[in-house]
Amino acid sequence: MSWLPMVPFALLASALLACAWCVVTSDDLVHSVLWLALTLVVTAGVYVQLQAEFIAAVQVLLYAGGVAVLMIFAVLLTKRLTGERIPHESGNRVRAALASLSVFGLLTAFILRMPASYAQPAQRSATKVLGERFLVDYALPFEVLSVLLVATMIGAIVIARKEDA
Amino acid sequence: MKSQALLLLVVVLPALCAGVTGLIPYVRRRGMLAGTLSSLTVLATLVMSLVLLGRANGGEKVIVNVQWMPEAGKTLAEFGLRLDGISAPMLVVVSLVAAMVQIYSLSYLHEEPSESLGRYFTWHSLFVFSMQALVVSTNLMQLFGAWELVGLCSYLLIGYWWAKPSAGKAAVKAFWVNKFGDAAFLIAIILFHAQYKTWDIDALENQVRVTPPGALVVLLLFMGVMSKSAQFPLHVWLPDAMEGPTPVSALLHAATMVAAGVYLLVRFFPVFAANADALTVIMYIGIFTALFAALTATVQTDVKKVLAYSTCSQLGYMVAAVGAGGKLAAYFHLTTHAFFKALLFLAAGSIIHGVHSNELPAMGGLWKKMKLTTVLFGIGVLAIAGIPGFSGFFSKDLVLEQLEHHTVVWVVGLLTAGLTAYYMGKAFVLAFAGEARSDGAAHAHESGLLMTGPMVLLAVLAVVAGFFANPFARLTHLAEPGFHLTTTGILALVLALGGLGAAWLFHGPRAKDPAAVPGFLAPVDALVKAGLVDRFYEWSYRVVMLGLAKIIGWVDRYLVDGVMNLFGWVALEGGAALRVVQTGRAPDYVFAVVVGLVALMAWGYVGG
Amino acid sequence: MVPVSSYMLLAAGMFSMGLYGVLTRKNVLGILLSVELMANAVNVNLVAIGRSLGDGRGEAFALFAIALTVAEVVVGLAIVIFLHRSRRSIDVDQAASMHG
Repeated sequence: MSWLPMVPFALLASALLACAWCVVTSDDLVHSVLWLALTLVVTAGVYVQLQAEFIAAVQVLLYAGGVAVLMIFAVLLTKRLTGERIPHESGNRVRAALASLSVFGLLTAFILRMPASYAQPAQRSATKVLGERFLVDYALPFEVLSVLLVATMIGAIVIARKEDA
Repeated sequence: MKSQALLLLVVVLPALCAGVTGLIPYVRRRGMLAGTLSSLTVLATLVMSLVLLGRANGGEKVIVNVQWMPEAGKTLAEFGLRLDGISAPMLVVVSLVAAMVQIYSLSYLHEEPSESLGRYFTWHSLFVFSMQALVVSTNLMQLFGAWELVGLCSYLLIGYWWAKPSAGKAAVKAFWVNKFGDAAFLIAIILFHAQYKTWDIDALENQVRVTPPGALVVLLLFMGVMSKSAQFPLHVWLPDAMEGPTPVSALLHAATMVAAGVYLLVRFFPVFAANADALTVIMYIGIFTALFAALTATVQTDVKKVLAYSTCSQLGYMVAAVGAGGKLAAYFHLTTHAFFKALLFLAAGSIIHGVHSNELPAMGGLWKKMKLTTVLFGIGVLAIAGIPGFSGFFSKDLVLEQLEHHTVVWVVGLLTAGLTAYYMGKAFVLAFAGEARSDGAAHAHESGLLMTGPMVLLAVLAVVAGFFANPFARLTHLAEPGFHLTTTGILALVLALGGLGAAWLFHGPRAKDPAAVPGFLAPVDALVKAGLVDRFYEWSYRVVMLGLAKIIGWVDRYLVDGVMNLFGWVALEGGAALRVVQTGRAPDYVFAVVVGLVALMAWGYVGG
Repeated sequence: MVPVSSYMLLAAGMFSMGLYGVLTRKNVLGILLSVELMANAVNVNLVAIGRSLGDGRGEAFALFAIALTVAEVVVGLAIVIFLHRSRRSIDVDQAASMHG
């Protein structure tokens, strides 16, 4: 039955879109962050379904773990500094809805015009292929990325430290 | 050495020398050092040119073309070197006369400040470079560039004594008149390219045989020749150019630069010949210039002005000969004229150096003080008058024979020959015969070896160059001259002797007032003093140019400025209107970005 | 099998929601969250297409993108804290200092 593999995908996809919707509409900033973390975890599930386990693991560890924690930390920090609830209401919804709907419509039009293709079943371990890519073809960008991360760290410290420090 | 390398050196060496003398302050500030360097360079150039002439005589032809920034089969420009029967003699003439003149200058200008002398020799080297580059050009763009450079050198050298207002004015006048012709020349080049799609001279000459160019284009090209070779009515700059140092006049305004126009006529003869009407116009302009300038020369009192108008007149001969189809005669006369006219100028310089005056009436009796100069000037006079045995005889006869088929032109040519003998004889007699008519003339002295040496060499050439006509014809593949005593030759000789006799009669020691203008030339004198041509230019400047300037000024003020003001107003008002969009709020900007994105995507969807 | 276009439609939906968030949120942190959502959508696309090509390139780019996003979040949060400290507010509507 050809529709059977679609069932888990449909479940994951609807969960993902629902979470995403909550991220952008939730009234409380802390709730938004939590919804985002959930979105990222569900995305990891999509990666698993795509047989990209390594990326799924990175997604959970780095994104859902690191970024989400960082965000919550930032939100709480600003809350503590102001001592009041952060205003999180939204404005000009009609304009925004029109814009994002037209982008979505155009993207859909493009996707539907594409010839159909399917994810290839992994002959070898996808993680092994990925590792070879990184250490053979993309060795230089990989190293450059590490430099970038160091630069980011230093830059963040410089921007965020207290002026009198 | 290979001919290609020699050819390159002939062109590049003077440029290098100009660079060294011009850019290294140590050399520039030591005029004599710069002069020695420059003279040695041009002597080396002369030796190489002679070798090349020998090879060209042996039938060797070289054409090298280098592409500048070639890309995908196209090129920005081409530079080329060419050695053949036409370029080789000119290379020798240019480097020979330049060498003589530079050596002569070392002595003639030794009282000049060192720094100005460095400048002088830098321009000289630059001139040799430009002239050689012009001679060896293989394409029109290179030729035009060299042509302009030659004009620039002329301007710089005429204005050598820039502190003198008359020299500055003369330089500017030469520049403007030359620019006028050059503009026409450039238009002609562009029109040629538009019609034949090539800058290459050989390709052009092959194509005009198939489809002849229009008379207008050919005459535009000839305008360039007219300004450079001082043909009526664009001759006005040449007499004024005598404000420059005498050696400069000898090199640029007698032997080489003004001959560039005639060289162009010879080089492009197939192009000019492709249009018979244009050729006829060229002939009439040439012969009219010859007569007009000769008549003007008869009443001049400044020895350099006499020589200047004489140059105009001789160039007129050459142009007329080309117009009658005799390019060999023209080219041959160009070479002999280069030698004897350079000699005459250098000898005149020697006189001026001795007497400290240009005025013929202030001279007289110089043969007692300057015996060598007398002999050398005499050789020049006999050569230009066309006395048998001297080079001018052969070449002038050749020119006049070309004109035989056009009776009116021929008669005018013969008449001009007589006039030439008369005014040159007059200058000679006034300067050297009789008694001294001024203190300067009484205390004149002979010039040094550095000055007389080059003159002697040129005098030898002025005598023997005529005997090279046959090898010259073979070399240039132009036409075989036939030397036989013809009616033209006899008539020309009689008229020349008559002219010399008249000079002796009216201006010799036995005449009442040697310096006075004889009665039959009084109307000419009056006309020349009236300065009609210069007045015409003045009038046309005032009426045509200023009128045009007024119209253009109006257009500029009301139309161009109006449009500009409109643009400014639109920009200001548009800016004010668009200012509303700039809210300064980040979400609005993001929204604008999204709108742009949507537009791009829609375009991609529809177009892709 | 699930066609790649389904994953791409899912990504397009998530991307548009993120865009909607960016346009409606008035709070810098909220905008940052929405941008994260958009980046995540792009990653889904990269992985899905990479899997259909089967040579690991798409996944490699997705990993690069994740690392870059982390860097971006760090800098973004630093800016938020800086803004908050200097203006006592993280409302973008009040931060209209770009108005000429």
